[in-house]
Amino acid sequence: MTRQNDLPFSELFSAYAAGTLDAGLALLVETQGALRADIKDAVGQSEAVAGAFLEMTEPAPMRAGALESALAQIDALEASAPAPQAGGPVDDGEMDQLPEPLRYAIAVSGNHETWSTAAPGIHRIALDVGSQMEVELYRIQPDAAIPRHSHGGQEYTLVVTGGYTDSSGSFGPGDLAVKGPEDTHRPVGDAGEVCFALIVRDGAFRLTGALGVVQRILGRR
Amino acid sequence: MARIAADQSREAFAELFAFFAPRLKAYMLRLGAGEQEAEELTQDVMMTVWRKAGMYDRKQASVSTWIFRVARNRRIDVQRRTTKPPLEPDEPMLRPAEAEQPDSAVSRMQMEEQVRAQLATLPEEQLALLQAAFYDGLSHSEIARSHGLPLGTVKSRIRLALARLRGGLDDPE
Repeated sequence: MTRQNDLPFSELFSAYAAGTLDAGLALLVETQGALRADIKDAVGQSEAVAGAFLEMTEPAPMRAGALESALAQIDALEASAPAPQAGGPVDDGEMDQLPEPLRYAIAVSGNHETWSTAAPGIHRIALDVGSQMEVELYRIQPDAAIPRHSHGGQEYTLVVTGGYTDSSGSFGPGDLAVKGPEDTHRPVGDAGEVCFALIVRDGAFRLTGALGVVQRILGRR
Repeated sequence: MARIAADQSREAFAELFAFFAPRLKAYMLRLGAGEQEAEELTQDVMMTVWRKAGMYDRKQASVSTWIFRVARNRRIDVQRRTTKPPLEPDEPMLRPAEAEQPDSAVSRMQMEEQVRAQLATLPEEQLALLQAAFYDGLSHSEIARSHGLPLGTVKSRIRLALARLRGGLDDPE
């Protein structure tokens, strides 16, 4: 188990800034940035570094007439009707409190009414953000427990609202926990408030308890 | 940028185009685009800059950083080439800061100035690695392979460089 401070995070931020980070992890970085000023600053700094490199880049001359062609496109743009506005963010009561990047991802996925039940008091939806990884939003009711499980690969868990506790500690809004194949845990939602958590994982999630056997037999979802 | 947003100033756009279009094209070429594609992607990016100029907030980022983001998002679109049409044209990262976002600990303007000033003083070996990581978007292990360096050396040089950019702030790593 690693807390954020132990990780080589500049690598997440640099890949994010450059645009090469996996879409699921990019959503995680954006959501965490909306929750925490230190993360937002780290992202801003990484993008400033990239912006400075753009400025320092040796220019490659555009073809003759490139500017005229751009200005002609602008004229055409202004002559056409304004682009229609897309629908607003998901309006689902308690989901209004989620940070904008996450609401946007939920809206894009278009499945916010199809929560599946993972265990009593534990619901989840898959977020389709074009990730190569598995991206899910969990809704954990107070005192509800996710059955003990291990991980096929890396699992990143970002607490968005509320909190949960497992044997490695308590996690609140903005906290990111990273677990590897060696870790098993049984997270329990903290009392008092529903916990939303964004989970991004690059390997199969395996349940290890008794309920896990049932799930393996039934297949996931 | 303000003149583009407020007055639809074509003169201001032409100035911006003269500086940034050739650099954006160089960026696209660097990413592996062909000559024709680089030219077209650059035009796309400059068109987005025109349309979204009103979203630019000078307190949040320098013009270079903002335009880089537009180009970066274009790059992501091209890479994904998803079958799904884009649902919404407003990239979240281009929006001005919203009330729900936390306050930054430092002024963005100061931070950007600091980054620029410190980048100019970095030794070439650190600068090259920062460029590979933040501009080309390579992972540390990819950089180690492409530069023929041990992974630990890559990590420590980038860490040193970032510590410099933060101007003596504690390196959180």
